[in-house]
Amino acid sequence: MSYFIQVVVDGLSNGAIYAAIALAIVLVYRATGLINFAQGGMAVTATFVAYALTRVGVPVLLALVVAVVFGFLLGALLERGVMRHFEGGDPDTAVVATIALLVVLSGLSAYFFGYEPHPFPSLFPNRTIEVLGVFVSLRSIGTITVLLVVMIALQLLFRSTKLGLAMRAVADNPRSSALSGLPVSRLLMIGWGLAAALGAIAGVLVAPQLFISPGMLDFVLVYALASAILGGLDSPIGAVVAAAFIGVVENLAGAYLDFIGDDLKIAVPFIAVIVILVVRPQGLFGRKVTVRV
Amino acid sequence: MATTTAPRSTTGTASSATARWKGIAAVGVLAVALVVAPLVSSPYINYQLSSIAVFAVAILGLNIVMGYTGQVSLGQSAFLGLGAYIAAYGILHGWPGPLTLLLCAVVPAVVGMLVALAAARLRGLALAMITLALPIVGVPLARRFDEFTGGSQGQVVSWLRAPESIGLANDQWRYYVVVLIAVVAFVLARNLVRGRIGRSFAIVKENEAVALSMGVSPYRTKVLAFTIASLLGGVSGFMYLAIVQYTSPETLVFATSINLVAAMVIGGSASIVGTVLGAVYYVLVPVLAGQVNSSRTALISGAVLLAVLFLLPAGLVSLPRRLARLRSSRGRPPQPPAHPTTSDEAAQPASAPPAATTDQHS
Repeated sequence: MSYFIQVVVDGLSNGAIYAAIALAIVLVYRATGLINFAQGGMAVTATFVAYALTRVGVPVLLALVVAVVFGFLLGALLERGVMRHFEGGDPDTAVVATIALLVVLSGLSAYFFGYEPHPFPSLFPNRTIEVLGVFVSLRSIGTITVLLVVMIALQLLFRSTKLGLAMRAVADNPRSSALSGLPVSRLLMIGWGLAAALGAIAGVLVAPQLFISPGMLDFVLVYALASAILGGLDSPIGAVVAAAFIGVVENLAGAYLDFIGDDLKIAVPFIAVIVILVVRPQGLFGRKVTVRV
Repeated sequence: MATTTAPRSTTGTASSATARWKGIAAVGVLAVALVVAPLVSSPYINYQLSSIAVFAVAILGLNIVMGYTGQVSLGQSAFLGLGAYIAAYGILHGWPGPLTLLLCAVVPAVVGMLVALAAARLRGLALAMITLALPIVGVPLARRFDEFTGGSQGQVVSWLRAPESIGLANDQWRYYVVVLIAVVAFVLARNLVRGRIGRSFAIVKENEAVALSMGVSPYRTKVLAFTIASLLGGVSGFMYLAIVQYTSPETLVFATSINLVAAMVIGGSASIVGTVLGAVYYVLVPVLAGQVNSSRTALISGAVLLAVLFLLPAGLVSLPRRLARLRSSRGRPPQPPAHPTTSDEAAQPASAPPAATTDQHS
């Protein structure tokens, strides 16, 4: 039983990372209707900033804060400088532009830091603590806690601030928002900035475990995409629940099904996702969209 | 070039006849170039040219489902890998080549059809998700079932040596085999997208409700598009093994799918010529970027990708039209390029006989 809970908590902690990137994807999707493949690239670039700072002796927490600010600026800058150009055009072209950004950003990270993975200092002590007779790692607990705090903060931002209301309005109907005097383009920049900042948090949290390299988040990006789509792309809560589901199912399958083992465990949540989507095409929490002629 | 500037205007019979002859001449020149190229090139160049043929077929499949039918697919690499593994298995078990090729087409097509039967009910991103899962699940499966796939080490084969009597080197012989397959695939696909099925693809992409009202089943059309895409993916896997002589789980990684999508958009969505240009881009840009600076390949490729997207959002295929427009309307501000579905029409005079263009407009 104790082992079971440990596996679940570790799964939740992985799920928290997927959730952060998935939330970032949902954020951009709601604002622009685009799947942002550059999300992983932005997160890794910001994490490399934190890495460079820790190398010169800056404490991890401070490095995290700087990385988050840097991520915000990077996201806003990329929206303004690159993605703005593809707005209103063919969506396929815009999605490929995000792929191009992903390639450029990982190329940039590789330019400065090389492709080989580097160790990254953890925000949390590498210990396990006993909670109600179960040993769980502090890292897992810490990751989950940070992500919960971020989620609550985001929820507050969107629900109880003017900025959040404006961003929701833009996501819902950009044209009407513009007509009612909202600065749509600036709000889109803020959306991208927030997404990249979220990515920075996820990157710094996961880097000690994965070791930092330009391709560090490639796999996480795939999981996050799966979570975002499974949750219904317009639902932040859905994305988080789906991410937790994927993290836990994957870990449980790896731990308990001998046939699955460590190498095949990634297949389990994906097959589950396929089954769920075939039964429920709009995703777990998505709204059903009726197409009218 | 005159036809390029005014693809839509009513062309007289005389000028369409000249355009037709120009088209036939262009195809003739292209055919001669394709035949002569390997005889005068180094094995390295032949390998790159053969690679272009391989990925052109993979991108062709992707373009049919994504460009022509408008259904996002992030799983094309899975079919490429499946085809390559089937080919490797067949060769290692001594199956005859044509039978192996047939299986490389049929098995991925059946797999693609089964996936599509479940997935084609879904729209947009849910569909993207399911196709995305194919390479993600495929890679660990390929590692696991090592009696079929050779596990992580992959399968090395040694086949398709040039017959002694012909007097060609292996690389030349393999070039001819893959280019022949590619040409057949392209001719078939071109006829397909110009015909009734192509029109049903276009209307499903445009508006499913309208398609339904015209008696075209969106569901069946999508399943068909997916099946063809998977079939072409499998065939490209066969071709891949023919020139690389090796396959491993790396062949089907998700990143390949993403790069294929990028190459398709770069070349030109819903365009046969664009598909070839996309394949040229897919193969050559990393090679050239590597020659400029081998440790900056990713950075340079990404920058080139962005630059092309900025300058030619409708793909490389729209370059002649874009230039023509710049030339003809120097005073006026340049208009945004037309919807990508039309890119084929503008590009036709460059290489394909334009007879079918008039067909399409009638």
